[in-house]
Amino acid sequence: MTAVVAALGQPWARRLSVLGGLARFAFRAVRAAGRLSRTGRFVMLRVLVNQIRFTALQAIGLVALLSAILSFLVIAQSVQQLGRFGALERVGTIMVVAVIRELGPLLTALIVVSRSGTAIAAEMATNKVMGEVTALEAMGIDPFIYLVLPRMLGAIVSVGCLMVVFDSVALFAGYVGAATAGVHFNRYASLVLATLSAKDVWITVAKGICFGAAVALFCSYHGLAVTAGPTEIPQAVTRGVVGTIVAIFIMSAIFVAVTV
Amino acid sequence: MNEPRSSFLVQAYAFGVEGAAPLVFEALDLRDQPDHPANRFTLSVEPGTVVAAVGDEDSGVGDLGRYAMGLAQPLKGRALVFGAAIAGLPYYDLLVFRRRLGYLQLGDGLLQNLSLKDNIALPLRYASDHRLSEVEGRVAQLVEAVHLGAVAHLRPAQSNEEDRRRAALARALALDPELLVLEAPFDGLTGRAAIDILEHAARRLDGTPRTVFLTAQDLHTGVRRLITRVVRIQDGLAQDEPS
Repeated sequence: MTAVVAALGQPWARRLSVLGGLARFAFRAVRAAGRLSRTGRFVMLRVLVNQIRFTALQAIGLVALLSAILSFLVIAQSVQQLGRFGALERVGTIMVVAVIRELGPLLTALIVVSRSGTAIAAEMATNKVMGEVTALEAMGIDPFIYLVLPRMLGAIVSVGCLMVVFDSVALFAGYVGAATAGVHFNRYASLVLATLSAKDVWITVAKGICFGAAVALFCSYHGLAVTAGPTEIPQAVTRGVVGTIVAIFIMSAIFVAVTV
Repeated sequence: MNEPRSSFLVQAYAFGVEGAAPLVFEALDLRDQPDHPANRFTLSVEPGTVVAAVGDEDSGVGDLGRYAMGLAQPLKGRALVFGAAIAGLPYYDLLVFRRRLGYLQLGDGLLQNLSLKDNIALPLRYASDHRLSEVEGRVAQLVEAVHLGAVAHLRPAQSNEEDRRRAALARALALDPELLVLEAPFDGLTGRAAIDILEHAARRLDGTPRTVFLTAQDLHTGVRRLITRVVRIQDGLAQDEPS
């Protein structure tokens, strides 16, 4: 009986343990930020700039492409269907609620996870395996300041900026989709603007912060948790990416529940 | 007590004890299953000396460097660095305290995404109050001292083992530490390169002798003449070898 209970409870105990570990990890990162010296800030800034260059700048093309395709498809299909029922004015609601508020942040975060989340987890795991984390500590450098904090800030800034890119391209591509059904630009713009509110902007900002932090937190945590050797690196990357994706979807659901 | 040469080291000096030996392994037992207190040893490294601990791979000699840096704690006994039980210091105090120490770890521990030059500059940029131009000057000085001029811009993966070891040594020397801990520093190097590395390691910026503690499985004959004291670790005990 005890063995059955243990077998049933073990996976949940493991998940709870990971959650506890993540909470401690996040707390250490925040604590490290509070102890940042002037010279530490300078060193961290160099890493941060590199992180933003890789995570945001180099991903702009991909985000713009996927945003354009997604919003064109969604709006082109919607205007065809809505036109049949004489509900074309609903295209603004679909654009703002479905594309800008929900799919945009979600897809942007997924792009960042697949490009940068994997890189962060692999890099952290390699740092650990190659003894670089030990080397940093031996030099008196807190690995959280040099490795974790810049990636966390970089991911937050990058996801936020990429969301703006996604939304801007989506609005334009949405018009191209609407134009296939003969919707004029002025009419499209008025329908979208009528639905768009300041609340959407704040939700996007909040999602950018939460999703960006989740990418860096999960991937750094699983990367630095490697202990055995190089063979553990792919497993750490998988754990980091899967954990982040699950967290992003759960957070999206929470945002909907809280803001609707 | 030695005075800090730069204001950024003042905090690091808060943890030491005045007049204490740079490094003491006290009542240490390196075996997997420590038994009787009589089987423990104490090893003291005096200021300005070069002390080498040698022993087989399974003798536990490889752990001494990490004990000295407070990166690991022995099962029995303790490491005292400038009189402070280093493994017992709180984490952030330990980080600050380590600015008085230099460490060349097994392998090299260089950061793979930085060039050799940036690896050397890292402790100076992070833990010193030098201006950027001063950091660049000191890095150039170190690069020249360890003969890395032609390859300093390369990443560790693009460099050979000797250059990586030289870069790691230069990084360990960047803050001109009082105590330098070297783990198997001569593995894979020629006798000439080993002597060159140890000669640089054993002198401080002002020309005074630096305290060096190194661990190795064996020592090149040419290197031995630069070492003040050689201690062999065997069966859990430390015995002096004739120098």
